[in-house]
Amino acid sequence: MNKVITINLGGNAFPLEESGYEALQAYLATATRRLERNPDRVEIIADIEQAIADKFRATLNAHKGVVLASDVTAIIAEMGPVEDGSAGAEAPGSAAAPPPKAGPPPADEPPAPRRLYKIREGAQLAGVCNGLAAFAGLDVGLVRAVFAIFTAITCGFGILVYVILALVLPPALTPAEKTAATGAPSTTEEFIRRAREGYYAGMRTFGDKQAHRAWRRKFKREMRGWKHDFRREMRAHRWDRTEGPAPGADRPDAYVRPHPGPGIARPVLSLVIWMISLLAIWVAWSLLTSRAVWGVPLPDGTPLWIGLVFLVIAYHILVWPLKTLRYFCFFRGSDRAAWRLHHDTGGGFLGLACVLLVLWYANGHIPAAHRALENLPPEIHHTVDALRAWWARR
Amino acid sequence: MHINEKFSPIRKGLLEFLVLKIIAAERVYAADVLKQLSGTEFATPEGTLYPLLSKLRREEWVDYEWTESEAGPPRKYYALTAKGREQLRETADYWQKINATVKSLGAKTGF
Repeated sequence: MNKVITINLGGNAFPLEESGYEALQAYLATATRRLERNPDRVEIIADIEQAIADKFRATLNAHKGVVLASDVTAIIAEMGPVEDGSAGAEAPGSAAAPPPKAGPPPADEPPAPRRLYKIREGAQLAGVCNGLAAFAGLDVGLVRAVFAIFTAITCGFGILVYVILALVLPPALTPAEKTAATGAPSTTEEFIRRAREGYYAGMRTFGDKQAHRAWRRKFKREMRGWKHDFRREMRAHRWDRTEGPAPGADRPDAYVRPHPGPGIARPVLSLVIWMISLLAIWVAWSLLTSRAVWGVPLPDGTPLWIGLVFLVIAYHILVWPLKTLRYFCFFRGSDRAAWRLHHDTGGGFLGLACVLLVLWYANGHIPAAHRALENLPPEIHHTVDALRAWWARR
Repeated sequence: MHINEKFSPIRKGLLEFLVLKIIAAERVYAADVLKQLSGTEFATPEGTLYPLLSKLRREEWVDYEWTESEAGPPRKYYALTAKGREQLRETADYWQKINATVKSLGAKTGF
């Protein structure tokens, strides 16, 4: 079942399937954009609409009253991408002629800037991953997998990121927004390719109540499955106190059994994690003040907060294996207390930031604190001076 | 590189010349031009032809007039202007010269 929209094309009314209407509108929008600087664009578009209307008329007969979406894609393919003739084609004779005074655009104009949107069509939840995938030109399955792994290793931080993105990102609703979200389907070939791959299949099923209900049932079932798994996991780790302690040697208080292995690993790893934290803070600072890291600015049109989100993701990805390594260096098995210790150190980034903030504030506003900092062992001042000098050289 | 792809700039350059030739031969509307081109190496979709026709009109090489048709809405019938005829002659001469050059250079090979 498909919704039918009636359009006026070249002075005639045509009933058109909704997804066909979307395709046609996107085609005409692309054509208009390509002819932007052509003085005759209105007339050319009118001619093209007229030609499409002729083709539509040819597909209709006494027994077929609606132009199908497949008719539209076929006709768009037949029409071919609209190319500004005054820019590209140059007859041999006109080679010596002065260039056209209209100053037409170069044939390969830059593509329209992409923007980050939620894309509801074919989405699992709010369409954030879908939008990210379209924005980055990646497969949506890959983006979802990366997001899931990221959520797993950061102990749920990814969920927070997802919720924030779901709230902040605008949904792509109009064809123009969809074009901006996915990168312009600037050629008909691309458009047809996407249509063939079922890219627009979501549009057809979206209005379909039954499909929607089936999807919701599936989603609820999956959510129940996750909840079940999560509870089982909790029981396995005996985080759930009501279950009571399990018998055996690994009672909650029988923990922290230092591994006889490399004793040096822990401080070294801790130092590395600290340095990464410091680096992350510095990068965040540099992003906030100059919108650049090591002189490399953010790509054009990227909002600052995306840079910060990526920074947090990169930080967690870098630090997570180190923390796990440190944890495995020191503790055997996976008792609950050891896990908690591991998670408590996870606050290092935030804690360090707080400490630095307090120190910076105290240095500037509390004379006693300033004096205390001045009286620190000279080695520390030397280190800071060396760092400053190194920074100045850069 | 496929031969079709290799000669695409040449075809693109010659298209304007051919459209002028078609219009010079008889009064035509856009679909006629497309039909005449369709069987040849110069088969062109509407998306390319309409901007090209509009460019030719802007250069004042062709002009059109609305004519009622038996089936459907009125059509734009194109005809060459005097300036367009001059342009066509110039282009045709140039094309002859190019042809002669292609024939004469390395004539011994027999290609």
